[in-house]
Amino acid sequence: MREPDAKIAGDAGDDDGEGALLSELGQALVEGSLSDAELLARTGLPAPFHILPQANVVKVGGQSFIDRGRAAVFPLIDEIVANLGRHQMILGTGAGTRARHAYSVGLDLGMPTGVLSVLGTFVSMQNARMLSYLLAKHGIPFIEPAQFAQLPLYLAERGAVIFFGMPPYVYWQQNPAIGRGRIPPHRTDTGAYLVSEVLGTRAMIYVKDVEGLYTADPKKDKHARLIPRATVAELAAMDLRDMVVERAVLELMANASIRRSVQVINGLVPGNLTRALDGEPVGTVITAD
Amino acid sequence: MSEPESPAPAPRPRHHVRSRLMRESLLDREVERSTEGPVFRMLPQAHVLKIGGRSILDAGREVVYPVVAALASCLERWKLILGTGGGVRTRHVFSIGIDLGLPTGVLAQLAAADALGNAHILGTLLAPYGVVAIPPEIFGHLLPLFVHSAPGVVFSSVPPYSLWEHPPGLGRIPPHRTDAGAFLLAECFGCKSLTLVKDVDGLYDADPKLEPAARFIPRIGLAELRRRGLATLPFEPVLLDLLANARLLDRFQLINGRHPERIQAALAGEHVGTIVHRDA
Repeated sequence: MREPDAKIAGDAGDDDGEGALLSELGQALVEGSLSDAELLARTGLPAPFHILPQANVVKVGGQSFIDRGRAAVFPLIDEIVANLGRHQMILGTGAGTRARHAYSVGLDLGMPTGVLSVLGTFVSMQNARMLSYLLAKHGIPFIEPAQFAQLPLYLAERGAVIFFGMPPYVYWQQNPAIGRGRIPPHRTDTGAYLVSEVLGTRAMIYVKDVEGLYTADPKKDKHARLIPRATVAELAAMDLRDMVVERAVLELMANASIRRSVQVINGLVPGNLTRALDGEPVGTVITAD
Repeated sequence: MSEPESPAPAPRPRHHVRSRLMRESLLDREVERSTEGPVFRMLPQAHVLKIGGRSILDAGREVVYPVVAALASCLERWKLILGTGGGVRTRHVFSIGIDLGLPTGVLAQLAAADALGNAHILGTLLAPYGVVAIPPEIFGHLLPLFVHSAPGVVFSSVPPYSLWEHPPGLGRIPPHRTDAGAFLLAECFGCKSLTLVKDVDGLYDADPKLEPAARFIPRIGLAELRRRGLATLPFEPVLLDLLANARLLDRFQLINGRHPERIQAALAGEHVGTIVHRDA
């Protein structure tokens, strides 16, 4: 009982290769420290497998899009349907106005960030359900995180699937840095982005109500200019007060193995989603490199 | 689709709900700053302990049984929330998954199974005291009920990041593992303390298992710990970021479970390992 490790790892020490249960890296992982930079560097190879390389993650904004109601949502639904069979779409939803209300109430009452994360999840789930009913006649399902194992089947059969954008961190949501408030820093932009990264999809498209990233908030500043293409480093240097996607997306993209660019488009303009799915550089493209 | 060049339709007024964040960009730094404020503590009487996987639970009866006995005696005085690590099986599944090219989020999803298995082992040994392992699906929402109804609970300390785990800066190992899961839980629920129970006396300036001359560090602040840039740490490095951003927890203590009497001492507030604390 003293060394249960030996049952798993022992054979690997035999050096004969034939009976080895673990690679040299495997042996080092079982015995070594996971905070050792030299060991961690070796875990980057082989390069990660792309699980769904033909799929696209499309995040539909909450406040920026779904909260506009029928005028915004119905044309986008038509465009999604028109792309069925052309492009596989994993559709995530934002939260929006009701999340802002829930965050406001919760902040006043002293709710911790993890509880605010639970509240935001509920709102993005409402939005996912609404979109899923509008797409139901095309056989497109809404799946919760526990159902992601079925996602490849739905995608192959129906060409699209809907999920709520919030990452399922709930009470385990991290706090923002001190001075950056208490609203969950990893919200629906981040959740959708991480789906595109882990599944190795071909694109991450954010559908919003602005043309892309501007030098200032175009809803407030008439002199704001569109930035069609920028790197994460360039954006960091610009130190913008506002940002078109959650800053966490930019931080995570810098470390990502696969999904090293994201695209922000104005979904109120018919055809923009199709152009983005076709690989055109409409809107703003933000890249890690 | 027919007129890709046409300008956006005039934005229709959105159906806003009156709130202080109405119409504000949540990504605006000034708005973010305005949401600072005091945080309510849900479980201020409960203590969170993370019981190491490889260091304790994989080490066999002669190590585990005395730890269980020590925890049982603590249950008479304190409410305990006990997280478990995944240990050797998690290291093994990481090595196979990496060899197969699976990404970080998949490795995180796989790791949850090992810590949950260990939670059931610890829950079985603590069952005579009314302490069992709670399924992750209901653990968070029902935690206050469990803490009030039972002397303690056991949970898989893997945070529910799963496929949504963050890609790390170096390599592919999930950065938020069971130390992080215990930390984030203790912070969100406003628990009294966080204690990491492992098989070293605390933090050293080098790995004491490899370097006999390594010097013990009984207490250290975040800035000093970062400045030292130690080659390895006996806890997940992401804890440094989580502690820096914590609003309720201001420290954690790392203790050696091979001296099980230190568990009770740590819960009593004694300094029996290494205390890592926020800078004032």
